[in-house]
Amino acid sequence: MARDEMVDGKGGLRPQWRSLLGVLAGLGHAELADRARRLERVMQDDGVASLLPGSPPDPWRFDPIPLPLSQTEFLTLQAGLVQRARLLDAMLTDLYGDQKMLSQGALPPALVYANPDFLRPCRHAGLGSLHCYAADLLRTEDGAWNVLADRTGLADGLAHVLQNRRQLGRVIPELFASQLLCNLDPFVELCMDALRRAAGSARAALLTPGHDDPAWYSHVLLARELSCVLVEGGDLTVRDGGLFLKTLRGLQPIGALLRGIPGRSIDPLELEPDGLGVPGLLAVARHAVRILNSPGSELVEAPGFSAFLPDLARRLLGETLQLPSVPTVWLGTTDRPFGWQAIPAFAPSWRPASPEEVAAAPWRYVARTVVEPSVAPCLSGDGLVPRPILVRMFLMRDRGVWHALPGGLGCVLFDALQTWPDQGSLLAKDVWVLAENPAAIEGPPPFRAAPLAIRRTAGDMPSRVADNFFWRGRYLERLEGAARLLCLTIGRLSGPAPTPHEVAELDVLIACLAQAGLVNADAVAGLGTTALSHALLRAAGSWGAVHALLGQVSRLTGLLRDQLTSEMHAVTARGMREVEEALKRIPGPADGQALDAASRAMSRVLGFAAALSGLTAENMVRGGGRLFLDLGRRVERAQAIADQIACALEFPGAARQPARVEHGLRLALELCDSSITYRSRYLSVLQPAPALDLLLADEGNPRGLAFQLAAIRSLLSEIGSGADTSLAAIATTLLDEPASMVRTLSEAADQSVAALFLPARLRSLRDAVAELCERVSRRYFALLPTARAVGIEVPSRSLRGAA
Amino acid sequence: MIYRVRHVTRYDYQTPVDLGAHLAHLRPRALPHQKVLRAGVHAAPAVSWRREGTDHFGNEVTWLFLDVVHAAFQVTADATVDVACPEAPEAGATAHWEEVARQAWTDWQVAEFLFDSPHAPADHAARAYAFDCFPARRPVLDALLDLSARIHRDFTFRAGVTSTSTRISEVLRRREGVCQDFTHLMISALRSFGLPARYVSGYVRTRPTRARLGADQSHAWVSCWLGPAHGWLDVDPTNGIVVRDEHVVLGWGRDFGDVTPLRGVILGGGEQTLSVEVVLEEAT
Repeated sequence: MARDEMVDGKGGLRPQWRSLLGVLAGLGHAELADRARRLERVMQDDGVASLLPGSPPDPWRFDPIPLPLSQTEFLTLQAGLVQRARLLDAMLTDLYGDQKMLSQGALPPALVYANPDFLRPCRHAGLGSLHCYAADLLRTEDGAWNVLADRTGLADGLAHVLQNRRQLGRVIPELFASQLLCNLDPFVELCMDALRRAAGSARAALLTPGHDDPAWYSHVLLARELSCVLVEGGDLTVRDGGLFLKTLRGLQPIGALLRGIPGRSIDPLELEPDGLGVPGLLAVARHAVRILNSPGSELVEAPGFSAFLPDLARRLLGETLQLPSVPTVWLGTTDRPFGWQAIPAFAPSWRPASPEEVAAAPWRYVARTVVEPSVAPCLSGDGLVPRPILVRMFLMRDRGVWHALPGGLGCVLFDALQTWPDQGSLLAKDVWVLAENPAAIEGPPPFRAAPLAIRRTAGDMPSRVADNFFWRGRYLERLEGAARLLCLTIGRLSGPAPTPHEVAELDVLIACLAQAGLVNADAVAGLGTTALSHALLRAAGSWGAVHALLGQVSRLTGLLRDQLTSEMHAVTARGMREVEEALKRIPGPADGQALDAASRAMSRVLGFAAALSGLTAENMVRGGGRLFLDLGRRVERAQAIADQIACALEFPGAARQPARVEHGLRLALELCDSSITYRSRYLSVLQPAPALDLLLADEGNPRGLAFQLAAIRSLLSEIGSGADTSLAAIATTLLDEPASMVRTLSEAADQSVAALFLPARLRSLRDAVAELCERVSRRYFALLPTARAVGIEVPSRSLRGAA
Repeated sequence: MIYRVRHVTRYDYQTPVDLGAHLAHLRPRALPHQKVLRAGVHAAPAVSWRREGTDHFGNEVTWLFLDVVHAAFQVTADATVDVACPEAPEAGATAHWEEVARQAWTDWQVAEFLFDSPHAPADHAARAYAFDCFPARRPVLDALLDLSARIHRDFTFRAGVTSTSTRISEVLRRREGVCQDFTHLMISALRSFGLPARYVSGYVRTRPTRARLGADQSHAWVSCWLGPAHGWLDVDPTNGIVVRDEHVVLGWGRDFGDVTPLRGVILGGGEQTLSVEVVLEEAT
């Protein structure tokens, strides 16, 4: 008969439940159910779905009935957990050091040497210590707590505990009104202090596998709670015996790394080259950077060790183990007791083992008693029902002393399997520790950080993030430019057979399209409108060039998920979906409506691009990612304008008959969406100098060249924040060129003839902008090539650096 | 016997490499039967940071970090060692193999080499191949020498047909390969019988030319455990001989992966070509 957490089996209520049940009864079932629904909504709004729109909803659900523990009970548990943490730490120190536990025969060699989490390169490296520890506990029928699993890697859930507590306080404040609880904040501060102390004068970072890992969301939350920077392996580099974060301001030293990736992935040079880690990290881990927990710390969480802990506690600590594991024996030396369950001895995979598997290699398995965990009341449709529960508790070591979080993460079990459920099926509970003597609760003395300098830029932004913003800007602009060009061209094909003048215009447009990589000039030039319409439909339709650009925007938006607001992300995701559907609706060239549909789809792309630009302008703080996003758009647009005007000025026949340049100018105004502005300034007289002044030199025309160059100059000087002016200086010299071109025209005897010499100058200006882009890349992102392994053959999978 | 070893490894990269991190097992370890008189590892271009140490198995390790842009990377290892292996015990007098397998379990330093490792897991095909060498109660060294001689007889030494990722079953099918393949095959077979086996990385003497297979490059062989009385004995299945004074030991591990002579991670570089040159000759 499982123990009940709430009632004592003799008709009485356990004391720690009294006031809580009073509040619940006061609320009444209907109200409670209503609050539970609100809680669920709040959790969704604040949960992973808000952070990652479009991702599946938060896999953690939350039961509003807390699990209260008395202060005495918590203190006993804490003492037991602290002892266990000290024991596991001593085991790691020994097994990654002298291995006395093996030489003295206290542990069978198989448990260490056949354990996939024993990382040989970490031995003798001064590694092998525990700083963060969590344990999954259950309470047996006789009321004693047993440890079901030790967590010596980075245990998930601390950030969720804090979030759960906050939300519960918001939605059901009554629960907290009648009694005092131990505050969770001192523990969080302690964790922050421990991290800062470990980091010394350098920074602390949380190393995550990246956004496609299931633990990513909890890493984002934890990094926020602990105010440390969230990094991926590709953001870090080992130089001169130290570990550094690649940021826009250059390399910044990292002194402490909270390890959110498996130990065996931490260093592709010595361990698994799976792209999550940092080459050379182990070589510097001893003296330059503290890794919490040490790589390889997962070794001692193997169930195989459980059977040996009481003996090891005596040998290593000279103490009796206070908090036992669920009774376990190792099948390498002991037969499976009747009724006990066999499970693997290594790497927590909790599936039961078959008798055949055990017989083939008994040393790979342990047997464990089947314990019925205690039950606690949980909210269901009919009121409160008792369900079996597990509790995860969290500990942190600071200056040699272990501290336990006075709270924890409860977990409701729905099946007989006695293991912490995977994400996706977790129903969490808030675990309370009642404060019986509030005065006795003291936090640690706070760690005083130096006052922060006021900063308006994001110099510490990882280069990878800035690189992603830059390319998102460039691809967005390419997408918009492609749609605009296709729209214009399609518009000229939809009428009756084109006049000679229109054919000439089409030739210019084909040159522009070819320049933008949208059509192959050789395949359409001079082959009539049918070939051209087919090519346009290919570029606009599904799997065409526009679709590919949309894919790039979508990819980069995904990579920046944690950097964009939810609104921004929602608009992007929705817009992208609509555009993609519109592209799919374009019929084949045989359909008479095909061009029409393509034109409508391109308008939709333009609308999408405009919506994103508007949102960026209104919502994104100028600085950091925004600067790089804008820079990407401006360099891309500047190059496109220079190219298109050059093509337009080479209007067919203009070389022999310079007056025909006028047609080119008209088209150029249209390409730059500036015809109306020109008319409003000069009425219907079209001359090269005034037209090109508007298109090239007028810094007020957002579709003109000078506007882009001026923006590039100011963005670069903002990015360099006054310290690095070399790139902005190059942009300034570029900005002189359009003005000089217009001056040449104005001073020329025949402006049309003079205009014929501009395309060469425009193209060299375009090349200069491309060259500037190269310099920006080298200056800010060059630290990001892809890492590859040499000397050993690994399946041809390159290491993931950054995007 | 005193030997001089010179081992040059060179990578030529198609495009320049921005950063390189390399880990070398290229300094011979000192042993009761191997005195290391001199050992050095030199890199070109010069490294920006280097560290030396020993690994879990007690082998000498050198870490080399480069952060200058370079188009080629060359590591030269030079060493002078004095080698004198003791006489192997009389094969018939060694304990029978089942007894050795049983004793290995409780010897904490030996047991590590009983278990599967990535390149040399206990393997059914390898077990079947070696099955006839292990009749009940056969003296362990008899069985080992028999197995080594069989591999030498049945397999053709041919470079270029296999790589470090070739599986044991593939080597068994082809009946050809290089010293690494034969060593992994023998280790897998031994482990499938519950016998501990180590992978030894090193060199075999170059002259007289063609006298020994596996010369002019890194060599590998097997170290076998004969029980607590006799300890470890090195056997070279590529040449079908017991190691005496023609081999120089760099280090050992569970398999190739633990003692790769030179491995690295580079940023940039494109395609690369690797060239290796080894000279092991008697010092004069």
